Amino acid sequence: MLRYAAGRLVSALPVLLIVSLLSFGIVWIVPGDVAVEMAGPTATAEELARLRERLGLTKPWHEQLIGWYGALLQGDLGESILLRQGVGAAIVERLPVTLSLTFTALLIAFVCGTALGVLAAVRAGKAADRAAMGTALIGFSLPDFWLGLVFVYLFAVVLGWLPTGGYVPFTQDPLGWAQAMILPAGTLALSQMGLFARMTRAAMLEVLRQDYVRTARAKGMPGWIVVGKHALRNALIPVVTVAGIACGVLLGGAVVIESVFSLPGVGRLIVGAIQRRDYPVIQGGLLLTATIFVLVNLAVDLLYAALDPRIRHGRR
Amino acid sequence: MAGVEALPAAAPAPRVKAPGALARLLAHPSFRWGLLLFGAVAVCGLLADWLAPYDPLRNNFRTRFQPPSETFWFGTDRFGRDILSRTLFGIQVSLRIGLGVALVTALVGGAIGAVAGFWRRADGPIMRVMDALMAFPAVLLAIALAAALGPSELNVIVALSIAYVPRTARVMRAGVLVVREFPFVEGARAIGASPTRVLLRHVLPNAMAPLVVQQTYVFALAVLAEAVLSFLGVGPPPPTPTLGGVIADGRDFIQEAPWISITPGVVIALVVLGLNLMGDGLRDALDPRLRTAIR
Repeated sequence: MLRYAAGRLVSALPVLLIVSLLSFGIVWIVPGDVAVEMAGPTATAEELARLRERLGLTKPWHEQLIGWYGALLQGDLGESILLRQGVGAAIVERLPVTLSLTFTALLIAFVCGTALGVLAAVRAGKAADRAAMGTALIGFSLPDFWLGLVFVYLFAVVLGWLPTGGYVPFTQDPLGWAQAMILPAGTLALSQMGLFARMTRAAMLEVLRQDYVRTARAKGMPGWIVVGKHALRNALIPVVTVAGIACGVLLGGAVVIESVFSLPGVGRLIVGAIQRRDYPVIQGGLLLTATIFVLVNLAVDLLYAALDPRIRHGRR
Repeated sequence: MAGVEALPAAAPAPRVKAPGALARLLAHPSFRWGLLLFGAVAVCGLLADWLAPYDPLRNNFRTRFQPPSETFWFGTDRFGRDILSRTLFGIQVSLRIGLGVALVTALVGGAIGAVAGFWRRADGPIMRVMDALMAFPAVLLAIALAAALGPSELNVIVALSIAYVPRTARVMRAGVLVVREFPFVEGARAIGASPTRVLLRHVLPNAMAPLVVQQTYVFALAVLAEAVLSFLGVGPPPPTPTLGGVIADGRDFIQEAPWISITPGVVIALVVLGLNLMGDGLRDALDPRLRTAIR
């Protein structure tokens, strides 16, 4: 297990290295002068010079790159031009919002998705199967940011049940947090719910054909125990791996959903930075989300290997 | 040569003059429904010049915020522009971008995946770069790239293609890895075919099916992502009518004028649903074993 873990850890390093290079490189694809782009057309030559100095643009590119890695190793992501705050601090401040949104959505997607998938597999070919898979398909075909707007209109404007947006920290008021979270997390969950449902159905159909399931049935075990205990446990293994990838998709989706529901998270920080050309924040935000994704997937792989000995011993 | 060519035909179960691929596709209910949905919306978009009742760009301050009526079937926005006309022209933009991204990623991602799968020494480095690209949430990466490149339709295609290329490359690589082990490939090598010829003539044609399926899904994802980009203001620049842009126009007026945002969202959903259904149909028709492998 330790050898597998070490190997997996080492293979994540080059990916992280390329991720940081790409995050650094985003500034280089801006056509023309980044400083002019950031400061706007009204900036004086003096302001431009000062901005270039602050961004380190006066140095040759290799020095900039070394500077970027030097600062990174000290945990320094640079300075936001507009917020007049360290990028790291700005992100850390907003991270709880994004993480609670992402993980609540992941939970909703996983629970509802697997339930739909099990239902569809058990009733394969019947009306319930078609209804569940239809729901799944519609789930990942709807544009989530639009659905969020529709939900705001329905639940906040027409029915007046929930707030139109905003965020309440969980530690301050758990009920308020739940009220603020349910619509955005539910909206965000929908697309991944569909994918979980499909995965679970496929995995369940596979497992339900196995001999040990037939044996369990033959010895007279109640159907729901066979499905829930014998089959689902084994079917969930591939589904859990998908959770790592779903996590990345949800992190990306959170960017838009935060804007729709006015949640003060990292996504809104990045979108604001993009609209106002605050490049240090864009670089830091990209680097951080990608790093979270790599680490989550590393954790999922290790968990997977811990659960299933075939992975850590066999060839992948 | 003839003997080598005959091998792949001998491998699968004996064929009883299978119905053509197209007939099989059209017999598949998912594909039929998908084609119907997608086709209906696409035709409306292509005929926008004739179907649109009004100029999608012209402001008319006397008709601001008109709710759906006989004159304006889907209402008007804050500049008095007709939502139906703007949506119809927005479909054109969405389809151009979706198709563009599907084609570019097929070519670039297909080539990258084929090289990675065929030449094992290139595999490690190439796939690490793809893994790194995949580590960025695709939509976020596309937003950042589109913003950095500047607002234009072409830049949106470029940004989305970069974001979705790794998926295509992965699918192509997986296909090539399977096909390169088949006996007929060994046969081609044994009679002295060059590696390039083996790849292009023998491996690629047999590894194409998953790519075709995947690209249908990429088309759908690109339509969704383009809407996000336009919604956030980094899509094609105004006044180009885009579906995401019209939704954004209605966002601040969701209380007073909900019809502005509703119509384009429904249209996006229909296009994406249609494409996903077509993808499912293609997947089942081209290779039933793929049922669980992609997506």
